[in-house]
Amino acid sequence: MRTTFPDAGVLRPRLKLTPWDAVVVPLIIVIILLLTIAFQGASQPFDVATTPDLTVSLDPINLPYYGLRTVFRMFLAVLLSLLFTFTVATLAAKSRRAEMVIIPALDFLQSLPILGFLTVTTAIFLGVFRGSLLGLEAASIFAIFTSQVWNMAFSFYHSLITIPRELREAAAVLRLSPWKKFWKLEVPFAMPGLIWNTMMSVSGGWFFVVASEVIAVVGRDNDQYLPGVGSYIALAIEQADIAAMVYAGLTLLIIILIYDQLIFRPIVAWSEKFKFEQSEAQEVAQSWMLRLLQRSGFASSLNAVGAAVRRSIPTLPVREASGSRVEAQSDPRPMDRAIDRVWYGMVIAVTLWAVWFLATYMFGPGLGFENGRVLAANPNVNTDLDPEIARQFAAFGVTANPDQTVWLSDVCAATAGGTQVSAELAALVRNERVGAPDDLAAACAVPMAPAGKVAWSEVLECLWLGLLTTMRVVIWIGISTLVWTPIGVWIGLRPRVAQFVQPLAQFAAAFPANLLFPVAVVLIATYALPQNLFQAPLMILGAQWYILFNVIAGTVSIPNELKEAAQVLGLRGWAWWRKLIIPAIFPAFVTGGITASGGSWNASIVSEVVSWGATTLTLSGLGAYIAYWSTGEFNPHVGLGMLVMGLLVLAFNRLFWRRLYMLAETRFRLD
Amino acid sequence: MATTLTPKTTASVGKVILSARNLHKIFKTPEGNDLLVLDNIHLDLAESEIVALLGRSGSGKSTLLRCLIGLISPSSGEVRYRNRPVTGPMPGMAMVFQSFALFPWLTVLENVELGLETQGVPEGERRRRALEAIDLIGLDGFESAYPKELSGGMRQRVGFARALVTNPDVLLMDEPFSALDVLTAENLRTELLDLWEERRIPTKAILMVTHNIEEAVLMADRVLILSSNPGRIISNQRIDLPRPRDRNDPAFIAVVETIYRAMTTPEAAFVGAAAAEIDHTSLGMRLPEAEVAQIIGLIERVEAGPDRGRDDLPALAAEMQLDADDLFVITDAAELLGFAQTCEGDITLLPEGVKLARSDIQERKVLFAEHLMNRVPLAAHIRRVLAARPDHRAPRERFLTELEDFMGAEEAARTLDTAIDWGRYAELFEYDAREGRLRLPENGG
Repeated sequence: MRTTFPDAGVLRPRLKLTPWDAVVVPLIIVIILLLTIAFQGASQPFDVATTPDLTVSLDPINLPYYGLRTVFRMFLAVLLSLLFTFTVATLAAKSRRAEMVIIPALDFLQSLPILGFLTVTTAIFLGVFRGSLLGLEAASIFAIFTSQVWNMAFSFYHSLITIPRELREAAAVLRLSPWKKFWKLEVPFAMPGLIWNTMMSVSGGWFFVVASEVIAVVGRDNDQYLPGVGSYIALAIEQADIAAMVYAGLTLLIIILIYDQLIFRPIVAWSEKFKFEQSEAQEVAQSWMLRLLQRSGFASSLNAVGAAVRRSIPTLPVREASGSRVEAQSDPRPMDRAIDRVWYGMVIAVTLWAVWFLATYMFGPGLGFENGRVLAANPNVNTDLDPEIARQFAAFGVTANPDQTVWLSDVCAATAGGTQVSAELAALVRNERVGAPDDLAAACAVPMAPAGKVAWSEVLECLWLGLLTTMRVVIWIGISTLVWTPIGVWIGLRPRVAQFVQPLAQFAAAFPANLLFPVAVVLIATYALPQNLFQAPLMILGAQWYILFNVIAGTVSIPNELKEAAQVLGLRGWAWWRKLIIPAIFPAFVTGGITASGGSWNASIVSEVVSWGATTLTLSGLGAYIAYWSTGEFNPHVGLGMLVMGLLVLAFNRLFWRRLYMLAETRFRLD
Repeated sequence: MATTLTPKTTASVGKVILSARNLHKIFKTPEGNDLLVLDNIHLDLAESEIVALLGRSGSGKSTLLRCLIGLISPSSGEVRYRNRPVTGPMPGMAMVFQSFALFPWLTVLENVELGLETQGVPEGERRRRALEAIDLIGLDGFESAYPKELSGGMRQRVGFARALVTNPDVLLMDEPFSALDVLTAENLRTELLDLWEERRIPTKAILMVTHNIEEAVLMADRVLILSSNPGRIISNQRIDLPRPRDRNDPAFIAVVETIYRAMTTPEAAFVGAAAAEIDHTSLGMRLPEAEVAQIIGLIERVEAGPDRGRDDLPALAAEMQLDADDLFVITDAAELLGFAQTCEGDITLLPEGVKLARSDIQERKVLFAEHLMNRVPLAAHIRRVLAARPDHRAPRERFLTELEDFMGAEEAARTLDTAIDWGRYAELFEYDAREGRLRLPENGG
């Protein structure tokens, strides 16, 4: 066995520099340098109490640096997602018992609104990275991570469980160790799907990068602006600075282009070789960057060193007579069944406990009931979460919380049930920016939910808001289907146009649509347009592209003979659509539709509340509800909103998309 | 091509290398019933012999092979390799797969080297031996190619090189030539035999699963025949023909004929019992997966053949370019439906079969339907259930669950699909694949 590292032969003979190295070597050095700068910026000290509020400058000179920081976050989020995918998805694929827990959990987590996670985790990460900016960075990165990871994990898991039986057997006969099997069989097999999903996730990620760089921190009056393009945009929106918006848009355009050309194209082209297919593909993805790297002597030397490192990791001594078995159908042993039973018991117990815990957390003791009566809602009277008003209440002895909420029950407590109200307090209560009931004493007399907790009436309200948002998603997915399907088919039938438009549509999907929201705000505010008609479509703005490029892809893949047959049969007009086009593009459309609807649910949090300068437009809906309650700290209201949205998305997917998907799989497959 | 200089007459039987004793394998059906797949298998593989394992599809030959190499564990009994119990894949045994099982992301060279990596062979030697194996198997020039660039025959060469590079003692092959076209398969078979005869590979014994009778006679020193449901070894036949063997040699033809006979005995047949003895009341009867057109085509061919209603199976297989296995599926179906009888390697039409061959399309359907109702309990059962329901409809799942009491999930699905296929032709019932529902024909059938 080899023990020297790196073994002498590896380095010397291969280090042949080629002209290409003139590009590759500086490029690598620059990348390392940039990463260092970004990390230095991200690891500066930050103390919740003393460090001045983080902010950004709208001077465009800063944009390259902000772009770097944003890319850095994105990069770390992808790395984390891969790590999570390789461990958790693998565990799910390998262990039946883990699978039982992990898969439903992932399914639910993937339905939860991504921006909700930002609220959940900020406090946690600030605690973990105490005194360092890394805490806020981590919260932002985690939000991006959650926008990418589920999708990737599912793709990887699905690949692992569909590895052909004979390949698994070959690996067993060759007695590959689990570690080797993972890298030689499982990861390569899953590679094309994983890369494609990662690319899609990153596309979607830009949207959330922009939304997750401005973070509310408990104990601070102002939001914290992490240096980044997202914060820059947020500030530009706040100050209604049109020029800054244009600069930011350009910056993102360039970043996405670089990301695409330098990272994803090469990886996709490289991953061609992992495609598990019997024949050679007609069209192979190309990348100039990959060609550059492959021709560079320096890069291949790096590669050789890497290989040497891998080889020098001592392998386990070869065991004499033990490979692993590959069971087709295992006969469960009694022992196994006993463990199973214990495991099921544990899973059920933990689930019940979690449900109970969540219920008490949301409703407080008594689960929203007291003496058999439903408790009334306990509203936050500081409806704008204005720190100034919170301070004024505090001056009257009313508890003001770090997240600026002032609960009615606390007002009641400070005024002996609304009966002893001083004139100053009465004035404050009657302030139009305070949402207190007119008859304080009467409101206080009704038993209400404990401070900060949710009442059952709010659950109903939340469901109603959820219904509103669902309707918007359904209507706008429907409308964009009607708009983009004919256009996509038109493009798809013309391969030359398709070749040109396809990457553009992908690019449009990556470009964060939130950048365009202010345009809508200005238009709606200036011309007093109906919000439901003009603000609601914002949620589909970024997601509609998935429908377009899937329709194009579906149309392109219709076999020529089928189109010719339709022509010979004289199919025309509606019959041509109904008999040929719609069935043929259906599977591709369903895939696009699922992605688009998931995207618009997530976007609802950002798009139901949009602002430009001093103008803020709010549409009532679940997204606005969650956005409102994202105060910097996880609270029962955010929990309720996320839960309702998660369940709605889950139900929507199960009842609607999954059925269409099954239909597409069984009836409309073109093969 | 085959140019053996010193043809051997008889393979000298040496020491036993791999053996199985009292081997049983039981699978669980989805309904939790036990399904006996391998029943009390005794098997010895000795030095310097090639053994072919023949059997109908579904006879468990692949399962047996996988038990022998340690990929799956037997429910009871023991496999021993050189006197050590086999508990998992061991060094010394290598396997060649039907669909090659190459790693598409590794080059030819990397694929071949993979087998050595796990044996702790140092890198330099690994490379040398892999190149040797590639050279030996006629792949030089393709070292850096990826499998998808290669034709099927070349891919299987990589499969062989990957197996042989480890210098295996025992080579197990699972229908290694069945995914290749006829010429390529012949070419590869001959080259493998040359390597073996000339002792250019250190392999001491070869066990191959096949469903091609000619292939077995061409290659093997011994042929084992596995019965169906459950799999038992029902015949163990030595083949002492000199090599290279000639397909047109009368002795060769005689051996093929003998094996056809052994495979048309009642025990070997698909359903595991002679047509006369089949329990025609049990739903659990498996159906051979033959298409109606094939069944009728065969019957017409036999009826019109030179012997008018009687034909020799090996000759038929050769004429129709079918593997014995595929032919047996059709003859089994014809036999099950009471149109023909196979015996002693011959097929004979029954009067009903002759009638079927001579009728027109409509009469044919009526006759087929009648036989289907009388002889395939599943078809009759489906009719009864549909007739009993007020809307004359029932989901496919309903029958599938019933069948899964008797057989594995895949087998049950195959059997049901065959019954549906036959029943649709006979116009006994209709099937809507989209809804997964069976129903009686509108006009009442």
